[in-house]
Amino acid sequence: MDQPTEIHREPGVCIPWQEKLKELPEIRGDADLCRRVWEDVDSLAYTYIWHCLLSF
Amino acid sequence: MATDLEQRYDQRLTRYVTALRNEKADCVPIRPFLAEFCAKYTGYTAQEVTHDFTKAFDAVLRTATDFDFDAMVGNMVYVWTGLTQAIGLEYYAIPGIDVEPDTGFQYREPSEERAYMKPEEYDALIEDPTGFLLNVWLPRVSRDVVPIGAPSTFRSNLSFLKGGMAMMQYFAGFGTQAQRMRTECGMPGAIAGILKAPFDILADKLRGFLGLTMDLFERPDKVRAACEALMPHLTHVALSGADPAKQVPITIWMHRGCTPFISPAQFDGLYWATLKPIIEEIWSRGHQVLFYAEGNWDRHLPAFAELPEASIIYHVDMGDILEAHRVLGHKFCISGGMPNFLLSYGTPDQVRERCKALIERVGRDGGYVMDASAIVQNDARVENVRAMVEATREYGTY
Repeated sequence: MDQPTEIHREPGVCIPWQEKLKELPEIRGDADLCRRVWEDVDSLAYTYIWHCLLSF
Repeated sequence: MATDLEQRYDQRLTRYVTALRNEKADCVPIRPFLAEFCAKYTGYTAQEVTHDFTKAFDAVLRTATDFDFDAMVGNMVYVWTGLTQAIGLEYYAIPGIDVEPDTGFQYREPSEERAYMKPEEYDALIEDPTGFLLNVWLPRVSRDVVPIGAPSTFRSNLSFLKGGMAMMQYFAGFGTQAQRMRTECGMPGAIAGILKAPFDILADKLRGFLGLTMDLFERPDKVRAACEALMPHLTHVALSGADPAKQVPITIWMHRGCTPFISPAQFDGLYWATLKPIIEEIWSRGHQVLFYAEGNWDRHLPAFAELPEASIIYHVDMGDILEAHRVLGHKFCISGGMPNFLLSYGTPDQVRERCKALIERVGRDGGYVMDASAIVQNDARVENVRAMVEATREYGTY
């Protein structure tokens, strides 16, 4: 279960890449690509949460 | 034809943006925020445009085709209740279900005892706003989402699945709508991006207005800290939806942060102290903010005058537009001033007279956008909206 107070979430972020990275084996390929895609999709979840509050 | 529409689009956008920058265009631009009015004009019910956003988009396109506005919103009936129903949000009364099919959707604020955030939860919000919203707030505002620790349910999982996909569908639809407004109607979009003041969002969706006013006396430091914790997130959301071309403004929908809802000291020390830095940050990124000042904010005009020149557009609802023009007009564009009651209950001649007066007294030197005082719903008479357009074109040429 999430322990929300243990993670400092910056604006635009739900699960920071650095947190996700700890779960992964050593990245053999393009680490920056992995980070970018993770953050792009993660930001969609952030958008969902905050637009529920602000827009709907 | 396409070339004509593209030229019309360019002409309208230039006219609108010039006024937004507090400069003089070729004539006074017209930018009404038309919501359920578009449904009435095109023969839809409020239920149809609220619950089926494709009908809302269609209504805007058909209205944009028939009226010589300079900018419109792709869908001002912004709350798509198909989405809110998918998430299970309990605070909307949906046309055709909870209210009559031709009544606009309603926001139902819970009682103080059932506020979506409890007074002892300020620290949790301050510590992790995003986590608090997901783990605590959403399960309370949704009939379907279960709280952390409770057994997972089919409907709880579906809330996120359906809600997420529906939100993507809806937001993507706005991109298509903007393109269709441009190519089929020559009509620019009026705004991009949403902002709310930290205090307002605490009142609207978290503590409720009654609870928050008590908190201002019982735990003012917590309220201040919560507003400060929300600031970077509200700034981020506003910028993430902003116009990449930096032409049309982000809109802040200003609710109950003005006197007499709160005291002048509370406004200065809390509301404005936690909003002004957001506006300055957004302006430093090159985006204007449209202050959609719902209600009467006249007491606070000197505070708004502190902002950098051209950083905002000030929209007048119930305030004195002449006073707003006197205090702010040398720095900012002014919009609004056409009373909604006049559009609903007045005559075309009365509307024309009001347009003439607004243009002569507020718009004479540019920096003015003709608009109703508030969002136009289906009580406005079509002939009065038409009179507003015709009179602005007749009297508003520089």
